Amino acid sequence: MTELLADRKPADHDADRGSQERDNIADMFLTFSVADEDYGVTISVVTEIVGMQRIMSVPDVPKFIKGVINLRGKVIPLMDVRLRFGIAEKDYDERTVVIVLDLGDSPIGLIVDGVSEVLEIPADRIDKATSFRSSDRPGVVRGLGRIGERVAILLDEKVLVSDVDVALPHLATA
Amino acid sequence: MAEEAEIAGESASGSALMRVSSGKISRLMDLLGELSLSVSETVNSPDLAGLDLANFDGAVHRLTMLVREVQDAATELRLVSVDEVFRRLRRMIREMERETGKQIELVVEGSDTLVDKLVSDRLYDPLLHVLRNSADHGLEPPEDRARAGKPAKGRITLSAAQVGSEVRIVVSDDGRGLNRDTILRKARERGMFGPDDEPEGAVLWKVIFEPGFSTAESVSTLSGRGVGMDVLNTTMKDLRGRIMVDSAPGQGTRVALHIPVSLAFLDCIILRQRTRLFAVPVEDIQEIVKPDTTEVLHVAADNGSEMMLLREVYVPVCRLEHFYAEMPERLPPLTDTVAIVFATHAGPIAVPVDEVLDRQQVVMKPLVGALAGIRASWGCALLGTGEVAVVLDCERLAAGGGR
Repeated sequence: MTELLADRKPADHDADRGSQERDNIADMFLTFSVADEDYGVTISVVTEIVGMQRIMSVPDVPKFIKGVINLRGKVIPLMDVRLRFGIAEKDYDERTVVIVLDLGDSPIGLIVDGVSEVLEIPADRIDKATSFRSSDRPGVVRGLGRIGERVAILLDEKVLVSDVDVALPHLATA
Repeated sequence: MAEEAEIAGESASGSALMRVSSGKISRLMDLLGELSLSVSETVNSPDLAGLDLANFDGAVHRLTMLVREVQDAATELRLVSVDEVFRRLRRMIREMERETGKQIELVVEGSDTLVDKLVSDRLYDPLLHVLRNSADHGLEPPEDRARAGKPAKGRITLSAAQVGSEVRIVVSDDGRGLNRDTILRKARERGMFGPDDEPEGAVLWKVIFEPGFSTAESVSTLSGRGVGMDVLNTTMKDLRGRIMVDSAPGQGTRVALHIPVSLAFLDCIILRQRTRLFAVPVEDIQEIVKPDTTEVLHVAADNGSEMMLLREVYVPVCRLEHFYAEMPERLPPLTDTVAIVFATHAGPIAVPVDEVLDRQQVVMKPLVGALAGIRASWGCALLGTGEVAVVLDCERLAAGGGR
C-alpha cells in the first residue's frame, strides 16, 4: 500500500520541491549502455528502473515499440533503444533493463543493454551537439557529457520518445 | 437512488445523504480495479498448479462474486441523472431562439436517466452542438414552416433512456431534414466519397459531424462554422460512444448518441490471436462459431477476401493480420480458427482468432503516447493474469482501415 501511495504522489512532490533542488536535479543524469556506447537521460524524467518483464505485443505501433507491460496496473509501452537508433537487435539477457520515463503526457519504458550510474554533469562539462545535427532531422542528441575519461551521449528525451526518424551522426557515417 | 438525490436537491433536507468528492470515489474505483486484478493474480497463481483445490475453489467463487458486487456498488456511487445537463441545455434554447429568430419548443424526456458522473460531465458540449445544429440548420424559419403546413413553433425533442448497458440520448427535430444532394456533393468535394459512391443515408449523414464539414450556405453565429464539430467526435470516442444520424426530407433529423452507462469496468471476452491478446465487449458479440470447410468461401476477385456462411447468409471475414497490415507468411485456414461474429451497424462480420480464453471484467486504460496509433481499439485492458489485451471496437473493424 505504501508503494501505491508513493506511486500516486509524484506530481505533489514536484510541486513542493524548491527551485534550488530542481537546479541540482537538472544536472543529474542516469547513464546506461546501448551497443557499447554510454548514453544519458536527465534523472528528473526517470520514474523507475525495472527488470525485463513479459512483453505483450500490440498492433499499429512503430517497429521499435516492442509491446506493452503491465507495471502495477499501468500499461507502459516499451521502446527498444537499439531498434530506435537502427542498431541490430540483441537478445535480452540478465543485464537488460527497462528505464521508465514520464515526460508528462504518458509513461514509456526504454529497453537498454544495462544501466550504469547516476552522474552529476554540470552544464560546463556538456558540449552542445548542434554541430552534429543535420538541418532536416531533429536532434536526438542533446549534448556530450564529459565524465573524466569517458563521454556520455546525452539524449533529448522528448525527441527520443517521439516517432520522428532519428539517426545518430556517428552511426550514420559508420 | 436517483429519487433520493432529487429530493435532496429540491427540498434540501438531505439528512441521509452525504457529499463526497469525486476524487475520493475515483480513488476507490482505482483501488477496486487493483483489488480485482490482485484477486485474479492470486487465484491464477502458478504456485497453485497441481494442488487439490476443492475448498479453495468454492472460496474463490464467493470472493469473486463479492468483488464483482462491490464493483457494481461502487459504480453506482458515481451514477448521476442527466437532469442537470438537460437543464443547462434548456436554458441555451432561449438564446438560440433569440439568435435564430425561430420559435423553438424543447421537449425533454427521460431526464432521470442515470449515467456515470464522468460521462455526464462531458455531455454538455457535444449535446449543445447537436442542439445548435438542429436549431440552426434543422428547423425552418417560421414562414417556411407555415408554407409546409407545420406549426410555426419548431419542435426539438431531447430524450434519454437506458437500453441494456447503454444510455441512448436522442436529439430530434421536426425541421426540413438533411439535404442529401448538398451533403453528398460537399462530402465528395472533401474526398470522403468517390464521385460515383452512393452511400446509404446512415453512412452519409454522419459526415455532418466531421470536423470542418458544414453545408450552411451562410455562416451564422450559432453553427455552420465547422468548428466545435470535433467536440462531438472527440467526446464520443473518449466515452466509447457511437453517433447515429437519421433523417427524412421535410420531416426532420434525429441524432442518437449511444454511450455506455459506466466507463469503469468492461465485461469482455478475452481472445488470443498469435502472440496477442484482444478483449471484446460481451454485448458486441453476436455469436462464436467454429467454421466448417463447407461454410468458407474465398473470393479471388477481391484480393482473396473470405466470406463465411452463417445460417445461409455470407458474412465477410475480417482477418486482424490484414487489418493491422501485417503480412505473415501463411494465414491459418479459417477452419483452424474460432470465428467471433460481431453485430455491427454495417451488418455482421466474422473475426477469426486462434483461441477464446476467458470472460472477465476488465479495467480499461486509454491509448496514449506511443499507443495512440492503435486503430479500431477502445483502449488497453488489464487482465487478471497481469497481461494486457487490446480492446477491439468492432464498428471500426467493420468500417475497414480507418480509425
